[in-house]
Amino acid sequence: MSIYHDLIDYLKESPLIIQILWIMTGLFIIIIIFLIFRLRSLRKGLRSKGRTIALYEKKYEAYLLNYLYSESDEEISASQKVIISQLKKSTKDPFIRKILLSLLVKLKQEVSGEISDSVQRLYFQIGLVDYAVARLYHKKWYVIAKGIRELNQFQVKAAHDDVMMHINHPRREVRKEMQLYMVNLFHAEGLNFLAQLEMQLSEWDQIQLLRVLQQLENQENLNIKSWLKSNNHSIVCFALKLAEIYSDIESIDEILKLLHHIEQRIRVESIRVLSVLNAVQAKYILKADIESRSTEEQIAFFAMMENLFDVSDESFISAYVDHPVFEIKVSALKILKVINRAKFDALKTESTDPHFLRIITFIEKN
Amino acid sequence: MNSAKKIVLAEDNSMLSMVLKFRLEKEGYKLLVAADGKEALELIELHNPELILTDIMMPFVSGLEVISHVRNKLNLQTPIVVFSAAGQEKIVLQAFDLGATDFMTKPLSPNELVLRIKRLLR
Repeated sequence: MSIYHDLIDYLKESPLIIQILWIMTGLFIIIIIFLIFRLRSLRKGLRSKGRTIALYEKKYEAYLLNYLYSESDEEISASQKVIISQLKKSTKDPFIRKILLSLLVKLKQEVSGEISDSVQRLYFQIGLVDYAVARLYHKKWYVIAKGIRELNQFQVKAAHDDVMMHINHPRREVRKEMQLYMVNLFHAEGLNFLAQLEMQLSEWDQIQLLRVLQQLENQENLNIKSWLKSNNHSIVCFALKLAEIYSDIESIDEILKLLHHIEQRIRVESIRVLSVLNAVQAKYILKADIESRSTEEQIAFFAMMENLFDVSDESFISAYVDHPVFEIKVSALKILKVINRAKFDALKTESTDPHFLRIITFIEKN
Repeated sequence: MNSAKKIVLAEDNSMLSMVLKFRLEKEGYKLLVAADGKEALELIELHNPELILTDIMMPFVSGLEVISHVRNKLNLQTPIVVFSAAGQEKIVLQAFDLGATDFMTKPLSPNELVLRIKRLLR
């Protein structure tokens, strides 16, 4: 007891700052001890949950295996019917439903052919599809997103309208899943959702859609022209990428109109795509008003000229060899080197600017 | 059944292992299943199988390490079929450099696997 009293006396006699420090130290020790116990209990809980999941997985793996390898002349054998009925009952419990679903997904991702078809069939037979569709009407966005992903994995085309209603969902994750569902299941036709999309299609969304489209065998029926007319600027950008990737020459007239689009990003992108599509008409349109365009457009135009120039462009190009913008100057010099080598060589002797001469030497060698 | 050819299957997806085990045992093979590369190496050393099926990505010891161990440490010429996922082309090439015999891309067809095994064990 005397130690306790000594400590109290020591604290009382200490300056205020020392008292506060001791109190805070005590508090931290209590918090740390509490957290250690909490962590231990969490780890114990997780281990126990893991063991339960492993047990259930073993149990349902056996069910699935019996289902997959039950042979019968009938479409569904008697033993399969029993398994379906048992699994149907089990899926009423959300915990077991989750385990069962993860087993089906894991198997579907790893096998193809008859087994994959059987897994797909079982998914419908035990009613998991109904739970997935019900998720689409949930309040929480991540439940909706998971539901759409599941319908995509199990190729549930019948849920098209239920999925489509999330086209303009405020959460990007939901929209992304919805878009992937459409393209994966309905291929080029699935992209028709673009006509109704009011939200922005991010660069990442566009990359994912392009990745799926490139895996498809049939890439016809892409309605690129109509997407180029969209009021949603992100869709126009995506349509420009499609026109470039699929060399859609039929879209050239529509892309030419985009040279006067309200947004600079689209004008610049249009110039680049027209260059890839070798649209010479674009050169004449841009030559007429290039001075009134932004520097980015001018740079894009000169990059295009490197691809589409002809000898008649010499006087136009010559006017830009001294342009203050480096990219424009380099493009003009590159073109001049091809159109009129003598004139290009003469620039070397005419100029005394070391920076300009370095550019000339570099172009000469490359 | 004593003459049944032994196959070691190294696969960390237990569901896939069970499906393949069931399918291949129906064809008369004896399947020894390992959940990771370490277990697979123990089974290979213990049973000296006629064929090895291995996934590339596995915990502890990868499929590539299994191939390397079989070819360089154990000096066995046992046919090895590797399972790879889409996008693992570079790793598959590495597997062939190390001595893999054949490969199959996931999702894989059990029926096709049976045909390949029959061809390899002819």
